[in-house]
Amino acid sequence: MLEQLLIFTRGGLILWTCRELGNALRGSPIETLIRSCLLEERSGSASYSYDAPGAAYTLKWSFHNELGLVFVAVYQRILHLLYVDDLLEMVKDEFSKIYEPTRMVYNDFDDTFQQLKKEAEDLAEKMKKSKQPVKAINANLGKKQGLGQKGGVDGGNQKKSGDDGNGDKDGNKTKSYVYENGHTNGEHVSNGEVTVASGVNGKENRSSNTGAFDKDKLQKMRGGKGGKKTNTAAVSKAPKEELKKKPRVWNDSPPVSKLDFTDPVSENGTDNVPVVAMEHGESMMDREEIISSDSDSDEEEELGKNAKIETKKKGWFSTMFNSIAGKASLDKTDLEPALKALKDRLMTKNVAEEIAEKLCESVAASLEGKKLASFTRISSTVQAAMEEALVRILTPRRSIDIMRDVHAAKDQGKPYVVVFVGVNGVGKSTNLAKVAYWLLQHKVSVMMAACDTFRSGAVEQLRTHARRLQIPIFEKGYEKDPAIVAKEAVQEATRNGSDVVLVDTAGRMQDNEPLMRALSKLIYVNSPDLILFVGEALVGNDAVDQLSKFNQKLADLSPSPNPRLIDGILLTKFDTIDDKVGAALSMVYISGSPVMFVGCGQSYTDLKKLNVKSIVKTLLK
Amino acid sequence: MDFEKIETEVKIHVQKWVGEAQLLIQRTSPAQLYVAVAVVVFTMLLLILIKLFKRKTSNTIVLTGLSGSGKTILFYQLRDGSSHLGTVTSMEPNEGTFVLHSETTKKGKIKPVHIVDVPGHSRLRAKLDEFLPQAAGVVFVVDAVEFLPNCRAASEYLYEVLTAASVVKRKIPLLILCNKVDKVTAHTKDFIRKQLEKEIDKLRTSRTAVSEADVTDEYTLGTPGEAFAFSQCHNKVVIGEASGLTGEISQLEDFIRNLVKP
Repeated sequence: MLEQLLIFTRGGLILWTCRELGNALRGSPIETLIRSCLLEERSGSASYSYDAPGAAYTLKWSFHNELGLVFVAVYQRILHLLYVDDLLEMVKDEFSKIYEPTRMVYNDFDDTFQQLKKEAEDLAEKMKKSKQPVKAINANLGKKQGLGQKGGVDGGNQKKSGDDGNGDKDGNKTKSYVYENGHTNGEHVSNGEVTVASGVNGKENRSSNTGAFDKDKLQKMRGGKGGKKTNTAAVSKAPKEELKKKPRVWNDSPPVSKLDFTDPVSENGTDNVPVVAMEHGESMMDREEIISSDSDSDEEEELGKNAKIETKKKGWFSTMFNSIAGKASLDKTDLEPALKALKDRLMTKNVAEEIAEKLCESVAASLEGKKLASFTRISSTVQAAMEEALVRILTPRRSIDIMRDVHAAKDQGKPYVVVFVGVNGVGKSTNLAKVAYWLLQHKVSVMMAACDTFRSGAVEQLRTHARRLQIPIFEKGYEKDPAIVAKEAVQEATRNGSDVVLVDTAGRMQDNEPLMRALSKLIYVNSPDLILFVGEALVGNDAVDQLSKFNQKLADLSPSPNPRLIDGILLTKFDTIDDKVGAALSMVYISGSPVMFVGCGQSYTDLKKLNVKSIVKTLLK
Repeated sequence: MDFEKIETEVKIHVQKWVGEAQLLIQRTSPAQLYVAVAVVVFTMLLLILIKLFKRKTSNTIVLTGLSGSGKTILFYQLRDGSSHLGTVTSMEPNEGTFVLHSETTKKGKIKPVHIVDVPGHSRLRAKLDEFLPQAAGVVFVVDAVEFLPNCRAASEYLYEVLTAASVVKRKIPLLILCNKVDKVTAHTKDFIRKQLEKEIDKLRTSRTAVSEADVTDEYTLGTPGEAFAFSQCHNKVVIGEASGLTGEISQLEDFIRNLVKP
């Protein structure tokens, strides 16, 4: 049964709640919904799941954009209530009839709600009965080859798209796998894709289920070809473990001495390396960014041109008339062309396709049903809404004042530990040196920890930086456990009184399970104050995958009950992308963490803060 | 087709009028023309001068503070005298121009007050900049119960408000309102004041360390060298207490009335 149904204004006042369903909700699902979903521009998704100790709820919502009202329904996740969407729509229609901006009390709505609820439940009952024969037909179709089978899986998934019932899902899957036995491998791959491409809920459940089926059941049911996919996964694991073992000797020659070119650290070694000190000048973090104020005229021209191209011969008069008089209300078909154009524009600016899609859906959800003001075009309304949404996403949710955190840690007598993580080759070591330079300029003592014990030359690279900046570096050479090196580095920092410890880690791909495990161990053992994900601005759609997998692995593989996730993003190689700044948006949207630094060059001073307004302007140009 | 016809007709009409106007101008004597133009210019200048000198005193009060401190409840208490069914996190500002609920019983002409409740959620901070320039007074609402966990965030926000250009230039008075004092575990306003002063003092040093050119800081707060105190601010800063749920908002109403003279 429905736990609660709320109606509130966008300004925050609750107008009506259902009195019969008076059970107090555990935790604060509505607040979490607003903060983590609606304000994060995810209002285009179908539903939101909330977990509190002792309760698991699903929330569904609907907007009435013209009156500025939000309708939210809360119910237990284990119940699959099919009538909630229809109920929300009906409640929306009925309530908008009696709503007045000055009226605050709507007690008479209780009876109307009871009626609507009964209607919705009856409707759902009818639909359930009519779905039974459809199920049998799908099972018959499944017996055919290829497309028929795919259709069965699709239909099954669509029916269950609203819920997370594990029991039903397993039944569905076994059916489909039995049919697949006689088919080719291509089916299996497509099946995996179909299940992965489902909604916000139960994504983890589904992927773990397909994982289970991947390895166990399929190896039994399939012959050679299916096994290949799982074998490659197994093979990639094996060499990593072999690395830990002794190198194999192929003939009777004496064992080759270990290939380790670490120089013993010498303090007064051959110092041809000049000391940098403050000679490079002010780091760009402290320089104010001068935003060029382009006139809006060229923007208007472009829009005007587009509008003219789209309209037909007698079109100009009707568009002028519409823009002067104002249209009745916007609906999806009106918004579609403008949104599509906006989405394409975002994608040309290197925003990941998935993110652009979700953003457009969210903007559509917030504009549907709104009345166009007179003298405005649809495209300009959509543009304004999108601009606001972008500013909202890129504005940090929490303070990114690192200096303040450093001072707070200093007061407590502990060093402030920052860990740089990321995939291979994004610029972790370079940007670590830049951050060290910036901190040094503000009279903070820094220490570097060389926990990249894998890549050849990584320790020497950091040693050179440390020598140039004249800061201590803690290193233990190669082939050591990075977690232990980091721990000892922090202890050393407490001993010699360094304020900040910057920990460099080896680059790793987000799919590499053993390396991600090692990383989460490092984080668990050391509990750093800041986990910075270093991502390059050149990345395209992969940014979404990288960040979501990193966060997921950090959450899954951590032995602690409250795993640490990525706290901030360091965007690198910003100078190479001209105006294709979309990677910043994709990364911030998918992870929710703010961009703390932007690396815009290869020397020590090339580090700056993210300027939200200029990025939004560039994205929508 | 129709539209094209209408177009051409409109064009013909316009041309006719232009021709007639030209004839009219040629007919009147130059002296009359000059007088007419002079009169128009003179009246325009007069209007502009009047607008410049007549400075309208604004009647806007801005309610701001962290998310969850109770601004929306206070807004509805001021307006209706009751908090209705409760509130959730605001996604948009609440604005209203009205006479305070407690004063609706008073006789005589009372000037309505324009009150704006700006959402406190960090992603919606930009909304504050829209309303600050026209504000006659700012109320910074602080949750007196959950003060210590949010102390840093609250003081950072307060610091931003105190150093905003419009607040500094126009010396907008500020009321720090400790809300939720009806609860037993609420801190006293003196404690809150001292904690805020300490935190802002620390912020001053770390912020000046960061910026000769931090984009939001246009001004250094207080007197350098001394520990920060609210009395050092150029604009008037007062501290008050209130309870949104029970309706104890007399200090807030006094502050508003002092600023927006009836």
